[in-house]
Amino acid sequence: MSHKIAVVGDKDSVLAFKMIGFEVFFASDANEARRVVDNLAREEYGIIFLTEQLGAQISETLERYDELVTPAVILIPNHTGTNNFGKERFADIVERAVGIKIM
Amino acid sequence: MKNGTIISVAGPLVVAKGMEDAAVRDICRVGDLGLIGEIIQIRGDEASLQVYEETSMVGPGEPVVITGEPLSVELGPGMVANMFDGIQRPLDSFLEKTGGNYLERGVVVEPLDREKEWEFTAVAQVGDTVEAGDIIGTVQETPVIEHRIMVAPGVKGVVKNIASGVYKVTDTLYSLETAKGEQSFDMIQRWPVRKGRPFKRKLGTEEVLLTGQRVIDTMFPVAKGGTASVPGPFGAGKTVVQHQIAKWANVDLVVYVGCGERGNEMTEVIDEFPKLIDPNTGKSIMDRTILIANTSNMPVAAREASIYTGIAIAEYFRDMGYSVAIMADSTSRWAEALREISGRLEEMPGDEGYPAYLGSRLADYYERAGRVITLGNGEEREGSVTAIGAVSPPGGDTSEPVTQNTLSVVKVYWGLDSSLSQRRHFPAINWLSSYSLDSELLNNYVGQQLNVDWEQMVNHTRNLLQQEAELQEIVRLVGVESLPETDRLTLLISSMIRESYLQQNAYDDVDTYTSLKKQYDMLDIILSFEAKSLDAMNLGAYFEDIVKDTAVLREKIGRMKYIPEDKPESFEEIRQETEKSIQHVLEKEVYK
Repeated sequence: MSHKIAVVGDKDSVLAFKMIGFEVFFASDANEARRVVDNLAREEYGIIFLTEQLGAQISETLERYDELVTPAVILIPNHTGTNNFGKERFADIVERAVGIKIM
Repeated sequence: MKNGTIISVAGPLVVAKGMEDAAVRDICRVGDLGLIGEIIQIRGDEASLQVYEETSMVGPGEPVVITGEPLSVELGPGMVANMFDGIQRPLDSFLEKTGGNYLERGVVVEPLDREKEWEFTAVAQVGDTVEAGDIIGTVQETPVIEHRIMVAPGVKGVVKNIASGVYKVTDTLYSLETAKGEQSFDMIQRWPVRKGRPFKRKLGTEEVLLTGQRVIDTMFPVAKGGTASVPGPFGAGKTVVQHQIAKWANVDLVVYVGCGERGNEMTEVIDEFPKLIDPNTGKSIMDRTILIANTSNMPVAAREASIYTGIAIAEYFRDMGYSVAIMADSTSRWAEALREISGRLEEMPGDEGYPAYLGSRLADYYERAGRVITLGNGEEREGSVTAIGAVSPPGGDTSEPVTQNTLSVVKVYWGLDSSLSQRRHFPAINWLSSYSLDSELLNNYVGQQLNVDWEQMVNHTRNLLQQEAELQEIVRLVGVESLPETDRLTLLISSMIRESYLQQNAYDDVDTYTSLKKQYDMLDIILSFEAKSLDAMNLGAYFEDIVKDTAVLREKIGRMKYIPEDKPESFEEIRQETEKSIQHVLEKEVYK
């Protein structure tokens, strides 16, 4: 079973992904991002790249997909750089999985 | 009959010699005081008696008078709304006679008031052929109980004389031309308590005994004619459960045996019951209650007799065609009385010192419950005795012999849980460990009455609670955040079921009793809340949003137990609000 890959974020940050063939969706605020991600999840996208800046605003939605196998929501920095939200979340997940803080 | 002589006294156990005329189970008058005792063992001419009264100052050499009768109860008008001790001595006449607050010894009190006059209406006519169980006439004993005077078991004949009128219980009421010639009878029947009263045939259970307690009626119903036990540690609420059933059960008569428990609890019954109104008849609950009290300070041997006294009375009313419930609180004290006597008899002890015959004695008692077609010609009368016994296992450990032996004979088990009662969850009936072997049959019956798929609703509720227990394990390990949303909904709904439905306040005027219709409304609202939430979540709604937006609604659901029975429209309002609230969640901007 094959899944599609989507990229969600503000226009400036994600447009470049279109070049490598990912499907790109724009979202500028939290409500919009949440709606887009929910819709993509329902359409059986396997991996959703989401900018950290938006991800930080919709943590409820992220938690929701933490518990599901697909889609995997992966946080990426946007064009202004990283705010470490993605890394912290990842560290949390690893800590929960292995029991100690290794990152 | 020859009299015996006491040779030894050890607590309630008296050994007498010269007893060759006596038989086991005969009642004797022991000592100069004339204490009531029962023969429980005979070896040669030496008989051991258990004495139903305190035996201090009784010594060897004193006489034992054999009456040649087994321990019997007097059955007739005057029992209802009365309180007796373990061997059917009415406690108020006892008080009048002795003027003391505690039992005095050797006092003889007639079980039934000899002076009281009853208005008797004859049903049988002169010339009728009647046999055991046939109704001769009726006496309106209390506003709700019509006492049907029956022909005693073993009697058959042609009515020679009968007339309506005012009679005392010992007045000659009617006479029969029997095979042994003319015999006359009064209102009283005497019956040995340890022997079950005869009936025509036993029926299977089918009708549910409604108690107005949601956890019992919904999850673990007991049938009319069934048996149930309520084991639980101290303070878990056994007595309250028993009292609640005695108050609200949809039976015609309740026999409440307070067996070795606190005197204050019986006082509570006497204070409270007359003030309560039976929802089925609209009359005082006391008018259908018979109390048998053997509190913890009363003699041990009489405790052993008290539950037999109770069930013999219950069977008598069953024979009239009534449904009767008998509560025994608690059978552990009764078993301890057996143990005490058995120990003094130097019998070989079984588990934890209880006699080896504990199981068969318990079975004897519970097997006297049942739904039967009574004796008697003409239209078939159906009566039932439902036996509900509390068990107080020491330390709450239900692996002890009394609980285990009880569980092997009863069909319904309401296990009280001290951890629930500590959390103030009453009735503290554990929904995971309790069971009712009749629940399928009875839920079906209830479903037909309400015309809904009750069985499916109850099963779904059970599944939710089961799932909750499993999920709680996971939550304890990794926290609630790691659960998928559907599981979190399960947790939410099951906590609503626990707090809004299963929990019930016995001391609230409205919540103390819940009719079947209201139970359906309440459960239906909770389950449809679940179904609607699930639908919304399938449409993309977040669990968090549902929780946030339905806070007010859920509070209303939490308070619906306090909606009076006569306001069914309130449930309709909550149903509409459920619909609206969930709709409201979906109308949010993010879901557009």
